[in-house]
Amino acid sequence: MFHNWILIGLLTVITYLSRIIGVEIMAGRKMSPTLRLYFQYVPIAIITALIIKQIFIPTDGQLTLSLPVLIGCLSTAIIIRITNWFLPSVAIGVMAGLFTRYFFI
Amino acid sequence: MEDKKKTIKAGLIETLPIAIAVAAYGISYGVLATQAQFSLAETIAMSLFVFSGSVQMVTVAMLMGGATLTSILVTSALLNLRNLLYGAALAEGLHSSRKQRWLLSFGVTDESFVLGSQRFKKYGPDPLYFAAVAGTLYFAWAFSTLIGALIGNQVDPLKWGLDLAFPVTFVALLIPSLKDKPVIATALSAVVIAIGLESLAPGNEFTIILTGVLSPLVGLYLKRRGNDVS
Repeated sequence: MFHNWILIGLLTVITYLSRIIGVEIMAGRKMSPTLRLYFQYVPIAIITALIIKQIFIPTDGQLTLSLPVLIGCLSTAIIIRITNWFLPSVAIGVMAGLFTRYFFI
Repeated sequence: MEDKKKTIKAGLIETLPIAIAVAAYGISYGVLATQAQFSLAETIAMSLFVFSGSVQMVTVAMLMGGATLTSILVTSALLNLRNLLYGAALAEGLHSSRKQRWLLSFGVTDESFVLGSQRFKKYGPDPLYFAAVAGTLYFAWAFSTLIGALIGNQVDPLKWGLDLAFPVTFVALLIPSLKDKPVIATALSAVVIAIGLESLAPGNEFTIILTGVLSPLVGLYLKRRGNDVS
């Protein structure tokens, strides 16, 4: 789709600009430690919001809890906390969610 | 010449374990982008040109949720803020001609930042090492995306639970970083703010952006209070 190519183009520009501005302009400048910390917390907040938006799905103007997604996420959280292995944690999380979908819903 | 070979070899060897993890993530992205109705060419082009796992994954997730172009771009800009810090920290280590620096800037990512900054601290500026690291990661990302996109076309997403892969992948990315109180507080406040905003207006456009702007303030407050106390 043409729309996707425009999106890819704009994301390319935004992402590259953030990199080149960091290397060429921000280097040597003193940034407030507060702003520095704030920047580091932003991805955590965005990723969390994305997870919440997948667990609570809007249905007919109301929020509905998706049990398979919730169980999948909780399983992944536990496994990655214990093992720190990315791929197995994702695989187990998906399997737990699928199991919930087929046997409890 | 021998030194150059050694540097490139060190870059490749030290990047390899991370490149494997990146490839696992790249396969997930390839599969999910296919699900979000991206063509094979678009899926791979995004990896080749944007080369940012978090931006790409978030974009695909938002598209599947029906987000607008503007909200995707604002969210991506927010996610990219950390590149300003990475670039600033790496700049001295990439000390080279401006042309090379502009090229190497493209390789600034979470992973190359970690490896590059460690190396520069130990041995001083080393653009060649950074080029080897960024090149390895770029290859791993692009190639694994291709594999993911090819697999994604072959499987029925619901039957294989691929719709679950998004939230689960984000959880796998988030949990290891929840180490200190301010970070945990940021995540918890993000949960509260996001649920609150979604309850007020289910499926609204601004949940991600507002949560991304507001909840880091909670982490910041806790961090500063912790510092004051100590």
